[in-house]
Amino acid sequence: MEEKDLELNNTQPIDEKFADIGESVQETESKVTWKDELVEQEEIEETVDQKIERRLEELERKRKEELEQNQKPKKRALWSNKKIKKFDKIRYREQKCKEWEVRIVQQNMRDDKLGLYIHIPFCDRKCDYCDFVSYSMGLDAQKEFKEALFKEIDMYRKQCAKMVFNSIYIGGGTPSVMYEGFIYELSRKIYSTFHFEGDIEFTIEVNPNSVTSSKLMEYLRAGVNRVSVGVQCIDSKILANVGRFQTIDNIDNTFNLLHKMGFINISADVMIGLPRQSLDAVRDTIEYLIERNVKHISVYTLQVEENTQLYKNIKMGIIKPLGDNACIKMYELVNKMLKQAGFVRYEVSNFAIPTYESRHNFKYWKDVDYLGLGVSAHSFLEGYRFNNTPRLDEYIEKINNNELPVIDKEFIRDSERRTEYIMLSLRLATGLNLKKFRKRFNEDLLKSRANQIQTLIKGGYVYIEDGFLKIAPQHFYVSNRIILELL
Amino acid sequence: MDRQDRIRNFCIVAHIDHGKSTLADRFIELTNTVAKRDMSAQLLDSMDIERERGITIKLTPTTMKYNYKGEEYTLNLIDTPGHVDFSYEVSRSLMACEGAILVVDASQGVQAQTLANVYLAFDAKLEIIPVLNKVDLPSADCEKVIKEIEDIIGIPAEDAPRISAKTGLNIEEALQRVVENVPPPHGDINAPLKALIFDSYYDSYKGAVSMVRIVDGKVKAGDIIKFMQTGKSFEVTEVGIFAPKNVECEILRAGDVGYICASIKNVSDTKVGDTITLLENPTPMPLDGFKVAVPMVFSGIFPLDGSKYEELKEALEKLQLNDASLHFEKETSTALGHGFRCGFLGLLHMEIINERLEREFNLDLITTAPSVEYKIKEVNKEAYLISNPSFMPSVQSIESMEEPMVKMEIITPPEYMGNIMDLCSDRRGEYKNMQYLDANRTKLSYIMPLNEIVYDFFDKIKSLSKGYASMDYELCGYKESDLVKMDILLNGDICDALSIIVHRSKAYGRGRSLCEKLKEVIPRHLFEIPIQAVIGGKVIARETISAVRKDVLAKCYGGDVTRKRKLLEKQKEGKKRMRKLGSVELPSEAFISILKIDD
Repeated sequence: MEEKDLELNNTQPIDEKFADIGESVQETESKVTWKDELVEQEEIEETVDQKIERRLEELERKRKEELEQNQKPKKRALWSNKKIKKFDKIRYREQKCKEWEVRIVQQNMRDDKLGLYIHIPFCDRKCDYCDFVSYSMGLDAQKEFKEALFKEIDMYRKQCAKMVFNSIYIGGGTPSVMYEGFIYELSRKIYSTFHFEGDIEFTIEVNPNSVTSSKLMEYLRAGVNRVSVGVQCIDSKILANVGRFQTIDNIDNTFNLLHKMGFINISADVMIGLPRQSLDAVRDTIEYLIERNVKHISVYTLQVEENTQLYKNIKMGIIKPLGDNACIKMYELVNKMLKQAGFVRYEVSNFAIPTYESRHNFKYWKDVDYLGLGVSAHSFLEGYRFNNTPRLDEYIEKINNNELPVIDKEFIRDSERRTEYIMLSLRLATGLNLKKFRKRFNEDLLKSRANQIQTLIKGGYVYIEDGFLKIAPQHFYVSNRIILELL
Repeated sequence: MDRQDRIRNFCIVAHIDHGKSTLADRFIELTNTVAKRDMSAQLLDSMDIERERGITIKLTPTTMKYNYKGEEYTLNLIDTPGHVDFSYEVSRSLMACEGAILVVDASQGVQAQTLANVYLAFDAKLEIIPVLNKVDLPSADCEKVIKEIEDIIGIPAEDAPRISAKTGLNIEEALQRVVENVPPPHGDINAPLKALIFDSYYDSYKGAVSMVRIVDGKVKAGDIIKFMQTGKSFEVTEVGIFAPKNVECEILRAGDVGYICASIKNVSDTKVGDTITLLENPTPMPLDGFKVAVPMVFSGIFPLDGSKYEELKEALEKLQLNDASLHFEKETSTALGHGFRCGFLGLLHMEIINERLEREFNLDLITTAPSVEYKIKEVNKEAYLISNPSFMPSVQSIESMEEPMVKMEIITPPEYMGNIMDLCSDRRGEYKNMQYLDANRTKLSYIMPLNEIVYDFFDKIKSLSKGYASMDYELCGYKESDLVKMDILLNGDICDALSIIVHRSKAYGRGRSLCEKLKEVIPRHLFEIPIQAVIGGKVIARETISAVRKDVLAKCYGGDVTRKRKLLEKQKEGKKRMRKLGSVELPSEAFISILKIDD
């Protein structure tokens, strides 16, 4: 009976029914329908505020109840609790996950609406390993950037008039360092320029250091319904070693606030392979995130890029990088833990409780267009890939001259698209749709790469299921090599 | 004065770097053969590779006009290479001359190749004019060097011109000496045509061009010529001289040095050393040819892209026309596909050919480890030669094996003698003799297996002696030796292109260092790859390349797909340059890694 219910009801996450794990927050998701808001902004805003108030009260009450219940030491009793039931639960969940996976992915694959990416090029401080574009500058620079960004949005108004969007992703940098009010203003600007349909996935990246309750409130008002927290690792010493300064208190505070505000769709970024990171530190981090009821986790292995402080530090011998074997152990541990906790790895480095996959990121992996705005942002629009200048001053200057700040623009021919298709679709757990590939590129991969695929299948690296070519999950960590064989 | 009496054919011989090419430049300048604005240093070294390396590889003739005591003389100068690998080129240019300038560096004195080249000149019965070069250097010691020339070489050098090719000092004196001392050519202009081909090259417009020295008779455009060795006849389309670029002229007469074009399509029709005569009035006796150059070092050359085999074949044929000492025949390897087994005069020659193939013909090549030619006597069979290790029969059927030996002469300052003698005995050299040339130089003589010197012996000698020692060697027959074939197994499959023949006493060390080297150059795969060195089924060394366990691209941040695609495309390009052997992919460096090992 319950099962049937579940299948019919797409919108209700499975884990809420079957997971008495962690908190099960029963509120409806904070999807704000912007159309109404535009009509009667003032009124809606009020109700939103009221809504938040009410929610805060409710949450507070729940927390108190929970705290009372859990007065006895129940630290990390996540799955050690109710051990007997655990295995049944896991098995059941695995089966369900599989079904969900197919359904959600099919949904996402059919998705042909555009995604909008906004790059915020500011940070409090640039982490040593980071080679993305970010500046640590004051309010004036932020305001100047805002002016330029809004102008850039206007520049696309005409071109995008007939396009339909359904996701927004504000990344960086650190979007949460922007002055208060910016995100709200930005959301109004976006809503009034681009055309959206259906429910929107609206993600913002935040840094535990710069989150405040008033900012989160502002995000809610702006329509943000997905928050990605840059946790990386809960051991502050390990992070400090690579130039990232945040404490467990910051992180705790962030999650407390998020939960208080009623955010459910919370994602966290985790890094493994950091210098001096131990297996225990990784275990603690993952356990912590599961405990905090995070729905989506992106796990990245540290890559030492040239032109970063970390690269210099390693070159100078100040920091010793972690060996491959240690990385692999961490990676395997993460896989195991997240699987047990009900996460599905739907992409090489992305794990989600089913239905919480990132819609926006799917667009990168699929044949779907997206528009990137802001310094160094990348776009894939009408067959072209292009990206903006990585220099803030050049970005502002060009826009002030009424020019697009695009520096590289390339039409993606079929041969390149083919490479991308193989590279991107094999990152997904669903794999490469052989039939679609044949249609799209007029090439039967099973014939044109017969030898390679045969060898890979024999070695257990890939398998074919229901017309999809997939990388075996235990070999995701060498996916690059496998993809190379197929190009 | 007769026309022929006003011709002088001469060449310059010297040890490498004693200043031959620079002296040639000065002669060209002095006689205004080339306009000042067209002049560049080492003018006769026309190949890029010669200029870059500062060495002469090909002989280059040039004709100069020089006024001396009211008469205009025609001087034909042939610049020659000095490196030991190219002594064959030297011997050919000597055949076209009556005299030779012997250049000796006044600060370094007589060196190994000074001797080797001057003996070649003696053999060709040339008038030798010693010249002391680089007298402007503070370290020059003319008196000492004169004494050396007289003592060691045995020719009077008391009044040898003391020049500096660099500054231009006394160059004219050297040129006057050529006119005075070198005898004029003594051919008969009325006799039937007799022309010696001392070199040839391919021109895409004119076909095969023969560079000739006219010994008797005369030749002009329209004549029908006959190549005496091949028996083929062609109509001459053009004759000319070198100034130093080709300049067409009406007629070439006895004593001249010049070129003949006859629309010869096939490169093998103009054999260096052949005699050209006229079809209608042939000479009864051909000239003595050159001794055929014997290749000493062999290696397989394969196109990186298997479909370029035909292009490689054509390129080799064209190079061979220009370089008679290059030998090649088809070879098929399981690892590398179709290619050629080539014979070279030495390692430098091999390098040069490789570089020329890659540069001039735009080919990407894989070269296998150099080998020498072994003599194998199988039970109940005639002895035969092999240069390709993969053709070596199984141990059981071999009765005996012989390897080529060389007579090695090394001239070195005494302080490096110990090191050099250690090196020689390590390389299985048999000590023969030591001779003190003077207080600063000693000549060491060894009999050594050629196999031990083909890789890096010359470099080793140079580095052990801080560049002061010089060496020269010549083949001196075969000697029985305990040789084994060592195979390399990659993931259990034999890689024939990596097999080598090695002396049993050296096998263990060579095997180990080769495995280590291969471990460095072969990229890690998805699976573990054992590398084994095997002799007759017995593993003597082993290394393992561990499997890749981590190779994953980070996230496509903000949709930056292009960067990742380009990264993959680059890696894919790299993969294309690999050779697949069974399941293992080998970079082309793997095949020459054998050269770079230090045992």
